[in-house]
Amino acid sequence: MSDEINDNKTIQAQSSEVMTGGSAGATPDMDYVRPAEIPEQDLYHAHSFITKWVFCQDAKVIGVQYFLLATFTGIVGLILSWLMRLQLGFPGLAGFMTAEHYYQFVTMHGMIMVVYFLTALFLGGFGNYLIPLMVGARDMVFPYVNMLSFWMFFVAVAVLMASFFVPGGPTGAGWTLYPPQTILEGTPGSGMGILLMLISLSLFVIGFTMGGLNYMITVLQARTRGMTLMRMPLTVWGIFTATILAMLAFPALLVSAIMMTLDKVLGTSFFMPTILKAGEVLEYGGGSPILFQHLFWFFGHPEVYIVALPAFGIVSDLISVHARKNIFGYRMMVWAIVGIGALSFFVWAHHMYVSGMNPWFGFFFATTTLIIAVPTAMKVYNWILTLWRGNIRLNTVMLWCLGFIVTFVNGGITGIFLGNVSVDVPLSDTYFVIAHFHMVMGIAPLMVIMGAVYHWFPLVAGRFLDEKLGKWHFWLTFLGAYSIYFPMHYLGFIGVPRRYFEMYDSPYMTSAVGMNEFISTAAFIVGAAQFILIYNIIKTLKTGKAAPKNPWSANSLEWFTSTVPPGHGNFGDRLPVVHRWPYDFSVPGAKDDFIPQTTPPSEVVHTEVEKT
Amino acid sequence: MSDPKIEGYQLKPGFSGMAADTGSDQTMFKGVHWGKAMMWIFLLSDTFVFSCFLISYMKGRGSTPVEWPNPSEVFALNAFGVPVPLLLIAIMTFVLITSSGTMALAVKYGYEKNRKMCGWLVLATAIGGLTFVGMQAFEWSKLIHEGVRPWENPFGAAQFGSFFFMITGFHGTHVSIGVIFLFIYAYKVFAGHYDERKRGWFTSMRGDYVEIEILGLYWHFVDLVWVFIFAFFYLW
Amino acid sequence: MHAGIIFFLVILGSILFHIFTPWYWTDIASNWGGMDDTITLTFWVGGGVFVAVCLFMIYCVFKFSYKENRKAEYKPEDKKLEKILTVATTLGVAALLAPGLIIWNQYVNVPKNAIHIDVMAWQWGWQYRLPGDDGKLGTTSVRNINDNNPFGINLDDPYGSDDILIVSDKINLKNNRPVKILLRSVDVLHNWYVPQFRAKMDAVPGTVTFYWFEPNKVGEYEVLCAEYCGVGHYAMRGMVEVQDENSYEEWRNEQETFESYVAKQKNIELEEKKLAKK
Repeated sequence: MSDEINDNKTIQAQSSEVMTGGSAGATPDMDYVRPAEIPEQDLYHAHSFITKWVFCQDAKVIGVQYFLLATFTGIVGLILSWLMRLQLGFPGLAGFMTAEHYYQFVTMHGMIMVVYFLTALFLGGFGNYLIPLMVGARDMVFPYVNMLSFWMFFVAVAVLMASFFVPGGPTGAGWTLYPPQTILEGTPGSGMGILLMLISLSLFVIGFTMGGLNYMITVLQARTRGMTLMRMPLTVWGIFTATILAMLAFPALLVSAIMMTLDKVLGTSFFMPTILKAGEVLEYGGGSPILFQHLFWFFGHPEVYIVALPAFGIVSDLISVHARKNIFGYRMMVWAIVGIGALSFFVWAHHMYVSGMNPWFGFFFATTTLIIAVPTAMKVYNWILTLWRGNIRLNTVMLWCLGFIVTFVNGGITGIFLGNVSVDVPLSDTYFVIAHFHMVMGIAPLMVIMGAVYHWFPLVAGRFLDEKLGKWHFWLTFLGAYSIYFPMHYLGFIGVPRRYFEMYDSPYMTSAVGMNEFISTAAFIVGAAQFILIYNIIKTLKTGKAAPKNPWSANSLEWFTSTVPPGHGNFGDRLPVVHRWPYDFSVPGAKDDFIPQTTPPSEVVHTEVEKT
Repeated sequence: MSDPKIEGYQLKPGFSGMAADTGSDQTMFKGVHWGKAMMWIFLLSDTFVFSCFLISYMKGRGSTPVEWPNPSEVFALNAFGVPVPLLLIAIMTFVLITSSGTMALAVKYGYEKNRKMCGWLVLATAIGGLTFVGMQAFEWSKLIHEGVRPWENPFGAAQFGSFFFMITGFHGTHVSIGVIFLFIYAYKVFAGHYDERKRGWFTSMRGDYVEIEILGLYWHFVDLVWVFIFAFFYLW
Repeated sequence: MHAGIIFFLVILGSILFHIFTPWYWTDIASNWGGMDDTITLTFWVGGGVFVAVCLFMIYCVFKFSYKENRKAEYKPEDKKLEKILTVATTLGVAALLAPGLIIWNQYVNVPKNAIHIDVMAWQWGWQYRLPGDDGKLGTTSVRNINDNNPFGINLDDPYGSDDILIVSDKINLKNNRPVKILLRSVDVLHNWYVPQFRAKMDAVPGTVTFYWFEPNKVGEYEVLCAEYCGVGHYAMRGMVEVQDENSYEEWRNEQETFESYVAKQKNIELEEKKLAKK
């Protein structure tokens, strides 16, 4: 015990060394924080209902708007997946299900879930809500542009949904939209459907760029006093890096969408070679279909990490808070996020091993792809090492995190199969691929979203979500989703190709009928289980237990706003001043098992003080 | 401007200074206005857009089975009965580069709070940009008159027309948007919005001469992109 | 506590599923056993890591679940441990990558004695062309395709006239003789894929792509299209029959060459004209 008395003075030094390399220890006054160098933000204070809740400039409201609209598209995507699974598990049961419809559902499900649901939810939803709060800013730096960003997204979603109602229906080209078939007869929705899809994507990119500029500049230029980059919560790191990726990857999508629109409308031949269709040579010629694939995947691969990195960041914070332990290897975690982000621009052609591109590219892209496995594995080790010797609260939030670890490791490892060029040959374009990417970028990020909802709901709404319902929601989702996608890998081993409306009677495919029925049934249950959350939210808003300030005993700034839920301007008269990283949990010698970022070293309450 | 004073913070030169700035709190780019930082990052993103266009163009030009037209013949202009290759384009490029010069001067006078000079120079830049767009419209109509279309052309590979119209059109859109903003800003300068720090029409943020510099960044970028388009389309 | 048990059962169930699964590879019928071996290797290494990580996690859940009076350990980093883990992971990944690259090297280098087969794909079907006695395929163009020239062979190419045309979705292969599949498409992307051969590659309109394999098991196999190509994708099937040398030669001699095909078409046309005259 006497050792600890001597240690009291080193509490701050210990934690600050980790963050800043010991420079804080050198300052004579340990509580010193540099004066403000950015002037107080000039905020527009809304008065009318419309400017307060509709065309709102408050990042928190925009975040909630993004969240709700993305959730709406997500529910549409969910219903589409039910329809697909209905056909795959019980062919012929739904009379209206033609091959055209099936392919339209597949396509819209994929595009909605990847772009309009996950990307919008993580960056638009969590990004808007959490970035200003976590870095200690009053709002995003350009609130007006931020508002435009949401409404651009709204228009993009409206255009996308409109494509369900045009003649010919939405596009059925597969979410990858590979030309030439995308814009030719023989693919459903090759008229208005694909056009609206391309327009909607372009609008999404424009809208996202407006938001992305906000997220980046807020993190780079609008942090509060004492908030260095290496004191930011990993959530902010994840969203920030994902935003950089998006700003550099979406241009490729925009360009390919413009070029394909011209191919469709003006009859240019960017992606269109000479084509013989129904005995006639079309008026196209000289274009390259592979060029589109390169552009698409130059966007498409970073897109995977645009979804994954915010999930990595958020889950790190959730695990740390609920294990009452600092995140293990914070610096490694940050560098892993940055490294994964950088590498993700050099791996895109691993989606194209069997696309007919120059086969020698395979060596390069297989190597870069497997290199990415190393920082990713480090993140996994650090998550489980954070649990090690922690004090784990097994609440709903933690369950979602554990579910994330299981599904993410599972999906990550099947990624090593697919990234390893020659192993990919038999497996690509089979159900193995579907199982892999649903596990790793569908279910795993979804687990994090759910965990985050249960974690931050007390902040957003001031009430706790119901734990019992939450646990039911978790177990149904986790066990259900795992039993959908784990067996599905084995369909891929058999060789069942993806995007098949019907399997006919091939011997090795008929053996899969039973499994398909099982998977479909599980899919119906998992989908239905999501409505537990909606019920839980409605119930909580009405009768939920009121949450006190900082209910989880967390350290990061979003819990230290002047009011709960935080109002416009986030903090009170004075912005918070940051003295430490957000992971000072269970610091030896300190009385509480957490020390908020705003607590200066001199105000840390020590155990011994309490005793005397 | 180039030497912002930050209270309680030592700005160091060179790489170690950059590392120190990155490791510091509050801002990464010391003394850089939010709007300026935003424009830089937007331009980085836009660079990727134009890179994708130009790389696609190189790939398309490299792989088309039909021969690519000879640019010095296609883009020749008849001056006094003699076809002069690249005449129009040389003038267009000159005009655009000159407008970059006037823009730079406008920024300088803006920071000196010289309302009149700044306003006239912004206006001159706008007119330069407008001239460029006008000449581009002339070139387009000349090519269209000669039978060049996005889907075909009489000189060779159809992709020539496709890429030419798409990329110059995309660039021309950038210039046109710039021209619109230049006119608006010229009005705002003359009307004294920046001197009075009047609030913006939509954003309700206080005006400042830094906005001229932000628009200037965009304008120089559009010029720079033109240099690349010029090199890739007309000189290759 | 219950949580840990359920997670443990999930992991246990995964292992048992893998051991007892009735769904696994079709019997391989080509030389690409190396791909299967690499998959197996990746399975053991990756599966091992998966199980280890999850069991460690479950152990933590049991051992360190919340107690009021316990305080978690405060340990921001452990450089040594992180270094060991990084190096170990890198070595593991390299060990998986190496065989993958070696096999890919074989995959892209086609043996000299391979029989070339032109596989032509369209929405939605297949047909095949074999080189004649000169051992070379004639060049083709999409624009040449018509009723008299279903493969679009360039008429002025001397190699083309003795090419063997198989206007059918079924092709025969010689056992234990490598084949180079030359893929082309007249409209959209397709992919000629036989699960038992493990190999696949997209057919891209406007260019010719290739891959090779050596069938080593006599029998009939189904061809699937493995790249989405429009509404008929799922129905775009074909057949392959691997035969021993004698029956293969017999089959090959029965097939028609381009020359005789053209002659026959002309005769049919003449006769049709005669009929019309009558």
